[in-house]
Amino acid sequence: MYWSELAWIVPILPLIAFVLIGFLGNKLFKKIENGGYLAIGMAAISCFLSLMIAYEILTGSYPGGVYKTSFEWLVVDGFTFNMGIYIDTLTAVMLIVVSFVATLVVIYSIGYMHEEGERKRRYYAVISLFIGVMLGLVLASNYLQMFIFWELVGLCSYLLIGFWNTKPSAASAAKKAFLVTRIGDIMFMLGLFILFVGFGGNLDFDYIFNNVDAFVGGNELLTLGTFFIFGGAIGKSAQFPLHDWLPDAMEGPTTVSALIHAATMVKAGVYLVARSYPIMVETPETMLIVAIIGGFTALFAASMALNNPNIKRVLAYSTISQLGYMFLALGAGGYLYAHTAEFNVGFTAGMFHLMNHAFFKALLFLSAGAVIHAVHTEDMRLMGGLSNKLKITSFVMLIGCISIAGIPPFSGFWSKDLVLEAAFEAGEANGIFYLLYAMGLITAFMTAFYMFRLWFMTFKGEPRDHHAYEHAHEAPKVMWVPLAILAALAFGSGFALFMGFETTVLPPLPHFEPHGAEGVIGILEAFFTNWMTYASIIAAVLGIFLAYVMYYKKTVSADIILNTSAGKKMYDLLLARYGFTAGYDIIGLKVVYGFSRLVDWFDRKVIDGIVNLFATIAVKGSNVMRRGQTGLVQTYAAMIVLGVSLIVILLFYFGGLI
Amino acid sequence: MIALEYFLGLSAILFIIGAIGVLTKKNAIVVLMCVELMLNAANINFVAFSAFSTPVNMNGEVFALISIAIAAAEVAVGLAIIMNMYKTRDTISLDDINLLRW
Repeated sequence: MYWSELAWIVPILPLIAFVLIGFLGNKLFKKIENGGYLAIGMAAISCFLSLMIAYEILTGSYPGGVYKTSFEWLVVDGFTFNMGIYIDTLTAVMLIVVSFVATLVVIYSIGYMHEEGERKRRYYAVISLFIGVMLGLVLASNYLQMFIFWELVGLCSYLLIGFWNTKPSAASAAKKAFLVTRIGDIMFMLGLFILFVGFGGNLDFDYIFNNVDAFVGGNELLTLGTFFIFGGAIGKSAQFPLHDWLPDAMEGPTTVSALIHAATMVKAGVYLVARSYPIMVETPETMLIVAIIGGFTALFAASMALNNPNIKRVLAYSTISQLGYMFLALGAGGYLYAHTAEFNVGFTAGMFHLMNHAFFKALLFLSAGAVIHAVHTEDMRLMGGLSNKLKITSFVMLIGCISIAGIPPFSGFWSKDLVLEAAFEAGEANGIFYLLYAMGLITAFMTAFYMFRLWFMTFKGEPRDHHAYEHAHEAPKVMWVPLAILAALAFGSGFALFMGFETTVLPPLPHFEPHGAEGVIGILEAFFTNWMTYASIIAAVLGIFLAYVMYYKKTVSADIILNTSAGKKMYDLLLARYGFTAGYDIIGLKVVYGFSRLVDWFDRKVIDGIVNLFATIAVKGSNVMRRGQTGLVQTYAAMIVLGVSLIVILLFYFGGLI
Repeated sequence: MIALEYFLGLSAILFIIGAIGVLTKKNAIVVLMCVELMLNAANINFVAFSAFSTPVNMNGEVFALISIAIAAAEVAVGLAIIMNMYKTRDTISLDDINLLRW
């Protein structure tokens, strides 16, 4: 009996919670937070099972190392579609991240959502649904099944962004998220069609990964297929140019931002690319695109976080930027592997950063939630000095900030360093990776700067809004305990590297033998004899120092930049998100609406015109014809005589009767 | 023996007179009489063709008798309609009877 054989229960439990809370929440659970405790219970059991399964797979105690099972779901036209479960080390990491963060976030929600009344039923129901389908996505054994859950997490995201659906901004943000990610989903679907055709109708991971060479249609078609699959990841993981929905998604409750838009759902895109690694590495062009998009997005999104006054938006841009890091690592690793088929750190770096980021970003979001809970505003210009009031929150958030900034030995340092190393390493194969490395390094500097700007503006200095400051209070225990657990992980999850993360979480690729440094001393030595490590530490420290002098000491003011016209323009450009929002509006209003009006005109004037023309002809013509019906019997008789005479004459002339 | 063509000529003349009467006369009774003329033109044809057919048979004559009986019935119905029309509308002029129209 292995724990992995119970994997099917993992996504089922939260789904049961969804059904119970969704339909009976306000009746059965009115006294107990409208089902909140049920959601916690189910999530916790799932989490326990997930941890046991992950432990079993990661330690290799399951024979063969990969648990797979499936049953026939549909047979259409000779094609068989399966449903099943596929657990390898990658799945195991995702299981830990998703179930653990989800459980903590639901616990935290008890405090954060306490004042929402009857709407809590909807909240807990949907969040249970989300946990269930997200675990289903992670456990899926084929692309079709994954796609189904992929769409379902998108639905949950939509429902939760629009949780306060009476607020127009939340409603429109939900619609935007749904529509923008849909573009990615369509590309994902196209990619699936290509794979479906190429692999003879079999979309099982197990089959595809072991028979990559069986692809029919040549490498060009496969490149197109992997590119479209990455297109799905762009949409879900909010990469350039489909990134713009994520900052708007902050209209939802902060817990939702933490769980869905930072720790789990947006990672689905990274997971998809990592999952498809065996076919992705066959197409180095796609891997190059993945890396370029990732590296560019990292810098691009980080720059927008530099001056944003909204605490959650800064974190949202930071999430996009960090997701870009993960894609950069995956792309660089895959590209290098395609050229020299041996171990490189790219894949591991991406997944390692995914795990660490899930913990420290969930921590940062939940801490921001505690701040918002205390002062009832998201505008950092109205905060300040809160560390006197929110001692625990400010402390755990500081841990999160240090971690994401990349100061050793916090977790963010290890994974960010590996990401940059992977990017630099791939420079051997293609010079563009040196540029991407430089962008990554600048991003590291920016990350440190904007995170500490956030922290100093929120917690240090003089309170800028005294009313809010007076009423601020520390979060209740149910909120700060999850924060403390996450803080411990944000500090310590990087040590997984010393427990053999690098040699355990490997893509299912041939000749991919880990030869990374062994043992704690070996890894430490590899890290601290590398100049890149010092480069990224210096970048981080510089960023923190700049934030310190600008927002704590205030010896250097941002006005220096603002007073120059170019600086002011840049500032406005960043706040306007490089015009992307306006661009969407232009596309939506001018292009699409204009085109729609043209089509409307064509429909009204030409199509309807033709139809109306026939109708008019019929009406006018009938009006003339009906006058033939006089009601006089002799007219009719005359017609009959005329007709019969005509027939007779015709018969005589043409019928040959003469 | 009179040749067949004379019979046919007579019947044609009768038929045309009847048809013109039906088309032009205003009085419903006269129209009815003209219809009788047309029917009788047809009867002459029946009898004539029958008399000239070989081998000799009586089919044409019998059919003419049936036709006369039908014509009598038709006149009875037609006259009844005209009677009722006169009772309700005080006229039997066909120009004034045009209710069934657009």
